Amino acid sequence: MGYSGVRGGMSAILAAEGLVRRARDHAATPWASTEQILLRFRLAVDRIMGEAGLYDEAIAADAFRQAEGDVLEAAHLVRAHRSTLPRLAVSEPVEPAEMVVLRRIVSAHRTPGGPQLLGRTTDYTGRLLERPDGPPPAADDAGAQVPPERTCEQRHPGRFSDLLRELDLLVEHRHGTAADPEPVDVAREPARPPAPRSAVLASMARAETGALVGLWYRSILGPDGAVHEVTLGELRHGRLPLRVIHPHTGNPVVVGVFRATEAEAIEDLDGADEDRTRFDIGYGMCFGHNERKAIAMANLDIAHRRFGDEGSLEQLLLLTTDGLDSGGFLEHLKLPHYVTFRSMMDRKLAGREARGTDDPNPRLPEPFGKEC
Amino acid sequence: MAIGERAMLSNGRLSREERCALLAAATADELIELADICLAEGPDPVVVVAPEVGCVSAQVREPIVRQRFLIGDVLACRAEVELDGVRGWAMRLGDDRAAALAMAVLDAAAESGRDAAGGIARLCERVAARMRCEEAEEWAQLAPTIVEFEEL
Repeated sequence: MGYSGVRGGMSAILAAEGLVRRARDHAATPWASTEQILLRFRLAVDRIMGEAGLYDEAIAADAFRQAEGDVLEAAHLVRAHRSTLPRLAVSEPVEPAEMVVLRRIVSAHRTPGGPQLLGRTTDYTGRLLERPDGPPPAADDAGAQVPPERTCEQRHPGRFSDLLRELDLLVEHRHGTAADPEPVDVAREPARPPAPRSAVLASMARAETGALVGLWYRSILGPDGAVHEVTLGELRHGRLPLRVIHPHTGNPVVVGVFRATEAEAIEDLDGADEDRTRFDIGYGMCFGHNERKAIAMANLDIAHRRFGDEGSLEQLLLLTTDGLDSGGFLEHLKLPHYVTFRSMMDRKLAGREARGTDDPNPRLPEPFGKEC
Repeated sequence: MAIGERAMLSNGRLSREERCALLAAATADELIELADICLAEGPDPVVVVAPEVGCVSAQVREPIVRQRFLIGDVLACRAEVELDGVRGWAMRLGDDRAAALAMAVLDAAAESGRDAAGGIARLCERVAARMRCEEAEEWAQLAPTIVEFEEL
């Protein structure tokens, strides 16, 4: 109890934790194994990895079980665990073009180059609540059909933005290798406005999904005066190789693969100082399969590029979308605030006493630290 | 191009990096079993860097502006040994220390020539074949979901 002006209560605290542990770990039902969680709750596991900023499926699954399904609490557990780990290396830059796609759609164009691969999704079917007692009958095995010939283009499709670039319909932002600043590490240095784009992208990659979606929705509804007309370009989920430099040969070596979701949001430029004959594109990528987050991130990236200097968007992105920041501050409200609140009560009562004097509107002294 | 595909194209002659990539994709049981065989053929290795679990910070070069950003950390384990005077290095994802140590032993054994029976090369071939097979099975599941919507 270091935060609040209270102490004691240890036996009650331990008894409360005991209730959680007994009900969670010894419930009269089979143990939820790590594998069970990985295979049946993969989207929750992926969301935890993204919001924690640590990719390891087994650790995220164990955190999910420990947090009793509370994704934000699980992300908190994983991020705290991550903070105890040494940094072994910084990877070589991952090239998104290397992604082996498990799903790829381009809603802006029917034939974007490469397949529209729906992958594992229920996006195009009606979803009604199902309450089976056990596993429902197996669906038809689509894999039993003879698949079309596999080509490199099918697993590594070209990028729709490259097609737009070829048609000279895209604002060009690439300025060669000269403009390749070192990326900001938001895990070590909290990003504060004004921040480089790498800090904004990194902050969004590990932001709380709901916060990012909420901020995106606010940005498109336009209460801040910046109305967007956005179309979704690429949306991909797939595997990417992770390379580090081999210490003995000095060459890159693949140490494993991780899954990520990637999105590109196409914006129809309409500003007075913008090139209205071209589009601009925002980019999003996060760990695991989390399409809502990647799409919101891509939309907010382009919104930030267009309007980040003008309003509060950058401040909101950097300071309010981290789930551990916001959730942690909210959670702390549950800790005893007896002393704080008693001082507030004392001020009210003192004010009432003062009001009993001849002065109908007495001026009360400001609390310590608030005096001008 | 996937690791398995590259290994296939190199026609069995693996570079040290290709071998490391395939060993990183092998199972812990495969690595430990083969490392035990290699160790039985000579003196014990010196552990230069004990197996250590940590993070690899993953930086992505996004394709629009071509700027780098850190998407997050990936859990990994590394180890380094010296066998017959030759250093062996290993890094693989996850937190399996025994697997990382065994992989480092195999890297050193391959570099020092202790793997006279060619067990490491065969393991790499097996892993590459398994990766190709898994990818083919995966594609057989995914391919029927390719769609061409009709425009109205």
